Amino acid sequence: MPTIDIDYPEFEKLLRMKFDRDIEKVNEILEFVKGEVKLFDEKADVMSIEIKDTNRPDIWNVEGLSRALRGFLGLETSPREYKVGKPLVEVFVDERLGNIRPYIGCAVIKDVKLTDAIIRGFMHMQDKLDQSYGRNRQRTSIGLYDYGLIKSPLSYSVTKPTAISFVPLGFDKKMSLKAILKKHPKGLEYGHIVNKHSVYPILLDAEKKVLSFPPIINSNDLGRITDQTRNILVEVTGTMHETVLNTVKIVTLSLIDRGGEAHSAIVRYPREKQMVMTPDFEAKSMDLNVAYASKVLGLDLTAEQIAKLLPKAGFSVEKTSEDKVTVKIPCYRVDVMHQVDLIEDIAIAYGYDKIKPLWRRKPTTGGVRPEQGLLDVARELMVGLGFQEILTYTLTNPKNLFARMNCKKERVVELANPKVQTLTCLRNWLLPSLMEFLSNNSSVEYPQKIFELGKVTILDEKQETRTRDEHWLAAIICHASANFSEIKSALDALFMNLGIEWKIKEAKHPSFLEGRTAAIYVKGKRLGIIGEMHPEVLNNFKLENLAVAFEMNLDSLPK
Amino acid sequence: MVELREQERKTLLAIQKLGGNTSVKQVINETGLSDAAIMRAALVLQEKKLVQMQEERQTAIELNAEGKIHAKKGLPERRTLNAVKQLGGKASVERIIAKADLEKDFIPIALGWIQRKKWAAFDSKTNTLRTLEKTERENDEKLLELLGNKGKITVEDLSKEFKEAVQVLKKRKLLNVEEKTNRIFEITDAGRAALKKEKKAVEEVTQLTPELIITGKWRKVKFQKYNIEAPVAKTWSGKKHPYLQFLDEVKTKLVALGFKEMTGTFVETSFFNFDALYTPQGHPAREPTSAYYVKSPKYGSVNTYKHALTNVKKTHENGWKTGSSGWGYEYSTREAGRLILRSHTTCLSARTLLSRNLEIPGMYFSIGQCYRPEVLDKTHLTEFNQVEGIVVDKDLTLRDLLGVLEKFAIDIAGADRAKFVPDYFPFTEPSVELRAYKKGYGWIEFGGSGIFRPEVTLPLGIEVPVLAWGLGIDRLFMLKARIDDIRQIFSLNLDWLRRQEVI
Repeated sequence: MPTIDIDYPEFEKLLRMKFDRDIEKVNEILEFVKGEVKLFDEKADVMSIEIKDTNRPDIWNVEGLSRALRGFLGLETSPREYKVGKPLVEVFVDERLGNIRPYIGCAVIKDVKLTDAIIRGFMHMQDKLDQSYGRNRQRTSIGLYDYGLIKSPLSYSVTKPTAISFVPLGFDKKMSLKAILKKHPKGLEYGHIVNKHSVYPILLDAEKKVLSFPPIINSNDLGRITDQTRNILVEVTGTMHETVLNTVKIVTLSLIDRGGEAHSAIVRYPREKQMVMTPDFEAKSMDLNVAYASKVLGLDLTAEQIAKLLPKAGFSVEKTSEDKVTVKIPCYRVDVMHQVDLIEDIAIAYGYDKIKPLWRRKPTTGGVRPEQGLLDVARELMVGLGFQEILTYTLTNPKNLFARMNCKKERVVELANPKVQTLTCLRNWLLPSLMEFLSNNSSVEYPQKIFELGKVTILDEKQETRTRDEHWLAAIICHASANFSEIKSALDALFMNLGIEWKIKEAKHPSFLEGRTAAIYVKGKRLGIIGEMHPEVLNNFKLENLAVAFEMNLDSLPK
Repeated sequence: MVELREQERKTLLAIQKLGGNTSVKQVINETGLSDAAIMRAALVLQEKKLVQMQEERQTAIELNAEGKIHAKKGLPERRTLNAVKQLGGKASVERIIAKADLEKDFIPIALGWIQRKKWAAFDSKTNTLRTLEKTERENDEKLLELLGNKGKITVEDLSKEFKEAVQVLKKRKLLNVEEKTNRIFEITDAGRAALKKEKKAVEEVTQLTPELIITGKWRKVKFQKYNIEAPVAKTWSGKKHPYLQFLDEVKTKLVALGFKEMTGTFVETSFFNFDALYTPQGHPAREPTSAYYVKSPKYGSVNTYKHALTNVKKTHENGWKTGSSGWGYEYSTREAGRLILRSHTTCLSARTLLSRNLEIPGMYFSIGQCYRPEVLDKTHLTEFNQVEGIVVDKDLTLRDLLGVLEKFAIDIAGADRAKFVPDYFPFTEPSVELRAYKKGYGWIEFGGSGIFRPEVTLPLGIEVPVLAWGLGIDRLFMLKARIDDIRQIFSLNLDWLRRQEVI
């Protein structure tokens, strides 16, 4: 979920409304666009707003947010029509960019009046779009330039890492592309996107002046916007054409909202003499089936009612018939993929609070999984035997699972991208978690009797997820004179109450003391282990008291 | 008449028997009662003016660790002197120390004291020691020996000379000194009078025994009154984990509403966790920063679902026949098999929709762990539980969804009112957030929900609407258990678990 920072005075100015910095009031209207104020920095007068919708990059800036709210607030009866003027720039795209970063889109916006607050807003929008919509510049990245310094046609091409040098934004010395990747903070951050290639993307103007090294950094000479800049060139490069085009649109619209006048660019691709005009503000048309909308919402809506609600949500209506509404979808509404997307907006415009909940009891029978009964009874019995139930993470680490338990390492489900070093794999038995729990409570009153009935994950090639989860039960009694017969007595009571005959056979296990360890058998099947914990293991968990324990697989119990 | 309890009577009797004026120690010997029991009894007796108590200070001394070494081996200066004597009355310091086998720490002590006691003279030029005439044992050595034999000694019982020696050893830091107050009991006239009357009284017993019952003697004795307000030792009962118990209750309520449980494994294919839920393969929710990927094996099998897989692929690419534009990218079938730890339990709903056993109408729920690479803090866990489910039936509408949500708010959260707010999930449209109002708690976010998009249901072969919901159950538990840190749910604190009320 993106969180966007908006300048509060700009927000009020664009909406021509006052909220007196009352967060509750702002939140109330933000509900229309699934937003919520997360933070209000009163000193900077900046609100951080979380937008739940990950598919609406058009509202990730103060201009777009205001644009989306205008209809809902009744400030306009139909959405603003955006126009783009004749092309001012031409871009030639090099064939060799094919598997590096093949797409580009541009626009020129003239007569924009910028202030520091507006520029900060643009920088923030650029960042958000690069991060979220552009997937950290992998998919798209944006550059803004002072159009007055640039001569068309531009050339979007490739170059060897050391062939061209320019002064990158924020620096005062010329650097080669290779040096930028090594020294410039942006080069270090985003270098991985291009450094696997032998040549790097470069954007030059007609006089071979460098605009930028996409997607890393702009030129300090051409790519710096100040409150003196009047005419702006927007450029977006990327690996997905659709996303590149959408991003150019979104950025251009915000500049138009700031009083600018947009002009298109002609992008010429090498293959088949393909030519694309950017940005394209053409609206899409979608037929909305009135009966379908009513059916989804459970409301008896007429075509007229729907046609009245749609403009609130930022859509205009082309045509209305009895069973169909033809909707004009503004070019920036990339979230509309299906009629249901319109239907939701109709519901929002109608007001969720005006829709009456309906509870219709279904003729279904509730139920839990079949093995639940046994699990519940086993837990009840353990509690009855005086054990405290505990709950621990299924995520742990091999050191805890094996080394500290005095065991050899086994194969378990390990994470490719652990977040912390202590949580790197799924457990395949429970006792290490219980030992860790005891280790954390060595200053709490003894005797301590704990159990956990939880899932462990076993690798299993035969399963489609290559794993199976099993319910296991583990228990430990810990105090200064704990002994084998004490835990055996508890396990015996458990089995007796479950009506299960069990057998015990001497066994060896590195976590337990030899001669005081046994395997648990039911109907000839080995289910688990019981014994006195090995002093080595007690040491590893810094326990001074003795521990006796058992652990067994409950899913393998005969039904 | 003054009423005496058993122990008070015994104590008073003992004091009288011991001549009316005696110490605690003697009363212990006489009665066999514990020190504490006698003191308790004596305090009551004093209150009743049957006994007078006087205090007498006592200083007990014993050897500390170093003192014990000296008691065993002799004082360092004595050991040194013996060594000099054995070496012929004069020798170099090095040889003496070697002969005496002196511990390093004791060398300066030995050299200092041997001169101070004038047992030997030190010649700094030759670095030698020579014995002098006076070498007999002094009181400090005698006291050391006494302490070595007896252990603890009361200073007040010692002769004057020995008392001085105590000061010497104390200065040499060889003693543990313990100041004690000794109590002397003296019976009063009232005490004697009380005992005379008591003689006639019946025997009082503390503990009812099987013997008393069998012999019928219980009829003749008097049972001592207990101090029923006295604190007792804690008993820690076995208990379920409060959070799991809470989940059990939620489960029971959902079953009562007609929901059936769905289960699945923690490790899941990306197909069910994302693809089948119309989450495109480049979506931020699939980034390694948002989902845990399995290191090895990397891929599971989606072969069983070939038909659905083809439909999902086409839907992502161009919308297939769902009426959607699709996401417009090239879908990778290989990526569908990529194994992850499920990042939500909605994958179980997708599996259920694809299952041959699906019933329509049907209501399903699941409670299970999910995993996301979060840094743990007050509001985030990397492993957490979700409670969610689906309702499948023909003619379901947004109004039915709100109906289900309102039911949850009231039946499960025990809320007074529910409110609905627009929400977003990639797999539902419309989407609704549930807020529940409970007196004393205010409005809480209690769930997210929606109607599955046609891009989700149609590729899985479902032609009827599916309502999907999830409940913010952790938040509710935290309110109930009065905790403000979500990490407490997986608390490793036994004391906290033991003290949790069973609510």
